[in-house]
Amino acid sequence: MSRVCGLLVVLLFAAAQLHAQNLSFVTCPIVRDTKTVPCWLAEYKGETYYLGNQGGVAQDFYPPQLNHDVLVEGVLAGGPRVCGGIPLRPVKTSVFPEINRACNTILPAEDAIEAPQSPPRPATGEAVSWVRSDGPADSTLYFDFDNDFLSLHTSTAVQRLAQYFQQSKASEIEIAAFRGSSKLSNGEVLTEHRDIAAARAAKVRDILIGLGVPATALKVQVVGEARTPDGINDPWSRRVTVSVKKP
Amino acid sequence: MKKLCLTLSLSICFAGLGALVTRAQVPLPQLQWFPAGAGVELPGQLTFANAGGRLGILNADGPVNTKGHPFFEPLGINGRACVTCHQPSNAMSLAVDTIRERWQATSGKDPLFAAIDGSDNPSLPQDRETSHSLLLNRGLFRVGLPWPPAQNPTPEFTVEIVRDPTGVNRDPVWGLKAARPTVSVFRRPRPVANLKYVLAPDNGPFNVKMGVLLDKDPATGKPVSMNMMADARAATLAIQAESAYRDHQEGKGQLRQDQWTRIIAFESQVYAAQVFDNGAKDLTEAGGPDGLGPLNLLQETAGVLNSPAKPVFLAFDSWKSSTEFRQSVARGNEIFLNRTFWVKDVAHINSIALGNPAKRSCAVCHNAVMSGMDRAPGWVDLGTTNYPTWTEPKTWNEPGELPVFKLTCRADARPHPYLGRVIYTSDPGRALITGKCADIGAITMGQFRGLAARAPYFSNGSAKNLRELVDYYDRRFDMGLTTQEKQDLINFLGVL
Repeated sequence: MSRVCGLLVVLLFAAAQLHAQNLSFVTCPIVRDTKTVPCWLAEYKGETYYLGNQGGVAQDFYPPQLNHDVLVEGVLAGGPRVCGGIPLRPVKTSVFPEINRACNTILPAEDAIEAPQSPPRPATGEAVSWVRSDGPADSTLYFDFDNDFLSLHTSTAVQRLAQYFQQSKASEIEIAAFRGSSKLSNGEVLTEHRDIAAARAAKVRDILIGLGVPATALKVQVVGEARTPDGINDPWSRRVTVSVKKP
Repeated sequence: MKKLCLTLSLSICFAGLGALVTRAQVPLPQLQWFPAGAGVELPGQLTFANAGGRLGILNADGPVNTKGHPFFEPLGINGRACVTCHQPSNAMSLAVDTIRERWQATSGKDPLFAAIDGSDNPSLPQDRETSHSLLLNRGLFRVGLPWPPAQNPTPEFTVEIVRDPTGVNRDPVWGLKAARPTVSVFRRPRPVANLKYVLAPDNGPFNVKMGVLLDKDPATGKPVSMNMMADARAATLAIQAESAYRDHQEGKGQLRQDQWTRIIAFESQVYAAQVFDNGAKDLTEAGGPDGLGPLNLLQETAGVLNSPAKPVFLAFDSWKSSTEFRQSVARGNEIFLNRTFWVKDVAHINSIALGNPAKRSCAVCHNAVMSGMDRAPGWVDLGTTNYPTWTEPKTWNEPGELPVFKLTCRADARPHPYLGRVIYTSDPGRALITGKCADIGAITMGQFRGLAARAPYFSNGSAKNLRELVDYYDRRFDMGLTTQEKQDLINFLGVL
């Protein structure tokens, strides 16, 4: 069951791609005020897309940032507009670190536009876009573009793996960290910083050691070459796989 | 007879200061200044007058014999004790009014004004008021931190001195070019009370804001809150005590285990909160709000997150139909909990999963029940120490009391999320410990208790009173508070 849950988000992404269009673009995010919670939008080629609602660390969707460009990678979900935008679902947003003060649009609340009900916080182990768990011994952790930040979901997954290592008296944990790339809808290719895979590996390694896994039990592989992007599966190229190995 | 003896002995002890202590929880007589080495008994409960009313101190373990007690006795060479800067009358912190009174009473000879950190610069002539201007005007002590930081010998940014009004950062002995390069910033002492709330770690082993593990207590291996100090540089009370002994008391060697054990034992059982407000009157009467007064602080559970069932400072419902002043306090509580506004460009608030901006209320960040701190590690760049990079004219060039540093981030470092790669600041905050650009100007939020007893506010003492504190938030976040709403918030904060 957990394997099914773990695969759900990735499969949704893939299934959606059979019938719907993928969109990848870099733009200024837009926040729209509403009577309830603000919602986040992005414009591309004259159209407005709905990304998600204001959230929190326990939500799957982490909103973007004004004053920064954002990489949007999503799938046209179909259905009615949400908060004034065409919904992208699933969607990944990656905030670019450099400041762009032109990204400063806050739209006022309008009577006719309402934010949808925010989804409930995913329960522990529930499928989220940050993590794919293939059983208790294997997880794949996903990252924002050019970022080694571990979300609450990702770090919790690492903690579960450390616990499993200790409880199962395993001998080794294999960490493989990857550098990703993303093909935008306009054909442009973005490739992550050359050291990002090593940074991700170091983060995961440090956490596992901090949680009591002996450094000698960790086998780390850093894949510095980015795969060729396809504009479809690119969010899943920015990843670290962690596998607990029994003797 | 015993009480008479105590009163007499204290009268003699503090006759010169015109102060007395009492066992009962009544305001008279009082001990407004507790000198190092007083050697008297600190009662289990006592109150101190302040401009807003009266502060209550509760020693949960009962009266404290301060004779020979390492919190109250000078341990180093400069005559200071822990209590020198953590006065019971000032909610175990130190109000600027108290500091000025000490200067007047002792002509600046009190150990409080020790050159090492009670002056603007240890190289200045110490008998002059002007050499202690930051302590006397803003309640600030010098905090000299090694540069580069021990935690990160290759920091992400360089430090240049733009303005150095005290001269300490360019001083050949104490400054950035000294044999032991040091960056000096100036900060308020934080209250040593209600510490179970300050020290309660977030759930789990992670700092959810940074995606890394929380620091650990080296003695137990357990995660710590990282909320104790302005820059979170000390993980535990033991580490803090040791560094305070060395840096503030100029102690040699190390504290003995029995000394820091007693210091921690005292610090862990002392509670401070306002018990009487001139407007709201008795804050601890039966049927009143459950979150007020030190006894409630003792009884409540630490580490609880704000929720509708358990709001940060619990319910003020009984005051919604009470006197006009109490109604104002209740409205202030409602504003604190529920009034949303655009929280914008706050590093480590907006830059985490909340998004920038986020339409939130005060209580979303000040979310820990009873303390008003952040349950997660709470260092944020609120904007009190960093200068907005885009302002015209360039405000960091204006004359001022505090130093200004220009920090330039390396090209390969992740920049500060809202100020970029060149940042002007009077206190780099957490970044002086981590060496990370994203941490520049990030200061750990402090607890809200006993505020009436310990002005000024913010780590750099930039808000002289609660009005200035509320005005700062109103400006910073364009909250649009009315005059009445500001007063409601001030009244609310004042009773805590």
